[in-house]
Amino acid sequence: MEAPVDNSKSRSSISVHVNSLKLTKTQRLDLYRVMVRIRAFENGVRQLTSEGKIGHVSLSGGGEAVAAAVSAHLGPEDQIGSTHRPLGHLVAKGCSLKHMMAEIAGKATGTNRGKGGAYHIFCPEVGALGANGIVGGSVPMCAGYALANQLRANGRVAVSYFGEGASNQGGVQETLNLAACWKLPLVFVCENSSPVVQTMLGHEIDYPQLSIEDVSLRAPAYGMPGGSHPGWDAEEAYAVVGEAVKRARDGGGPTLLEFKVHRVEGEESEHCPIRCYREKLMKLGVLNEKLDREIRDTEATAVKEATDFAVGSPEPELVDAYRDIFKEGTR
Amino acid sequence: MREITYAEAINEGHRHAMRENPEVILFGENVSSSWRAATKGLKEEFGRERVRDAPITETAFIGTGVGAAVVGMRPIVELMLADFSLVAMDQVLNQMAKTTYMTGGGVSVPMVLRLIYGAGGGNAATHSESLYGLYAHMPGMKIVVPGNPYDAKGLLIAAIHDPNPVVFFEHRLLYSVRGHVPEEPYEVPFGVANLLREGSDVTVVAVGRMVGEAVKAADELKGRVSVEVIDPRTLVPLDEEAVLRSVQKTGRLVVVDEDYERCGFSAEVAALAAEKGFHSLRAPVARVANPNVPIPFNRSLERHVLPDAEKIVRAIKAVVK
Repeated sequence: MEAPVDNSKSRSSISVHVNSLKLTKTQRLDLYRVMVRIRAFENGVRQLTSEGKIGHVSLSGGGEAVAAAVSAHLGPEDQIGSTHRPLGHLVAKGCSLKHMMAEIAGKATGTNRGKGGAYHIFCPEVGALGANGIVGGSVPMCAGYALANQLRANGRVAVSYFGEGASNQGGVQETLNLAACWKLPLVFVCENSSPVVQTMLGHEIDYPQLSIEDVSLRAPAYGMPGGSHPGWDAEEAYAVVGEAVKRARDGGGPTLLEFKVHRVEGEESEHCPIRCYREKLMKLGVLNEKLDREIRDTEATAVKEATDFAVGSPEPELVDAYRDIFKEGTR
Repeated sequence: MREITYAEAINEGHRHAMRENPEVILFGENVSSSWRAATKGLKEEFGRERVRDAPITETAFIGTGVGAAVVGMRPIVELMLADFSLVAMDQVLNQMAKTTYMTGGGVSVPMVLRLIYGAGGGNAATHSESLYGLYAHMPGMKIVVPGNPYDAKGLLIAAIHDPNPVVFFEHRLLYSVRGHVPEEPYEVPFGVANLLREGSDVTVVAVGRMVGEAVKAADELKGRVSVEVIDPRTLVPLDEEAVLRSVQKTGRLVVVDEDYERCGFSAEVAALAAEKGFHSLRAPVARVANPNVPIPFNRSLERHVLPDAEKIVRAIKAVVK
């Protein structure tokens, strides 16, 4: 990373010196690989939509660096709560590509047996505790994951993803306060995908979403550290998330991180995190054309397998409509 | 057997469950206060980590309960009044109630949402509602409405052991009512109605505080009308068999409900009789419920709209005529 964090955008104690961050070659390639995997997976989803095999799904292109950087600091027993634009977060957290794709297609083999769809994917085995169809809906639940971690003293942390729109929701603001009051091991990750002008993604609005420029300005108001960072810079994201996760694990309480994210499809934009990181890794000699091709081919193959699995999977039985309203048995 | 109050019975239910399982936790508004009879002393025994006062942010702390339950803890979340849950409907109805279904059974939400409810105290329309009809309308929650101290303790322990979201309605005016309660822990199973009075002329179905009013009405009519009183105790699951068996015997049904009449519990029981007990009925079903008005503050107006023993007697007399 050439430039230090722009401290004019930092709030209170976030002051990572990214220059001092030493990522190994393996760590760098792992980050890059996850970013490529996310993009490949979402391209697979886009393909299925264009073929009419599934409906519209909200995709997260442009947020790959944030998702990869967050999950690089988490183990399978750390939890995330996600949004209605969740696929990057879920891929990075290690959810099965096959079973996610099957869920997106509504199949019986899906993560949720075809009863949740893309907006409600849960993969408890890797700590991915919920995409969520309600804007801001997963945020209070993340405080519950964090409270359980705190009471069990297991050193686990929870990460709550949300967008700048959700940041205004009462439940999100309530949870910021609660998490600070209870000093929960929780990291709030706001992906602000309207970073340039205050418009809501995909909608034309003539009033602003936010009364302030940066969502992270709210961090000190709720009694926690926070800061705003470019979401297209994988290593800066890695550094600041690392600090926030460490603070949470060490009992220091929550942090509010904001990442500016430009929603992109291809790699033309200078704000495409994959393009930015590829160029950086090439310059550093960590990546070359051949290795890049290998990584992309590997991920594309895995996505193709997931797509074939989803398309070839059976529909749920009609009787499944009546199952799972309640869990049976007690204890 | 020893007698304690409804509130003390609830308190004991917590105590047993929290001693048995360190993952049972309690939070809500003022749950550590000594003036709250149902939770008094719990903080002292189990510590401030497990018994927590939450900021007045129902969405945040109900959602926190949902999350803690998703990762396997046994949260009990208390709302000082049922009406206050209305500010947190997303967490209750979208998240707590639907997560098990939407994950295809991959996740369970073993959470108890305790709501103190009920009119009759002159507290007006945002501090008096019953609301169990609203919750029972939505799939994914078990709905429990104990009408006496024995049931309150046994149903609470069963609720904490249940792997599903349970909404537990405690009537504020029952808090000081005394009754026989065993000292040891026990469960009252869900979906099993309680038969309070046997009778042959008319079936009266009531829950919560209205069970007592129904019994009063039955006793008042003793010698003139033979009244059977049934308390389903849980709305979800509902002991349909008990209601239908009784209606088969008596041929008449009166449903008593402190909640709003429209689309509510009384409508549900009336529909049950119409669909599955129609040929047993010898008179139209009668309902004694809140006539779809917000609870008025003025005590005379409040009494006027609330069901009571006198109104139940009148309804019974009309159906047995």
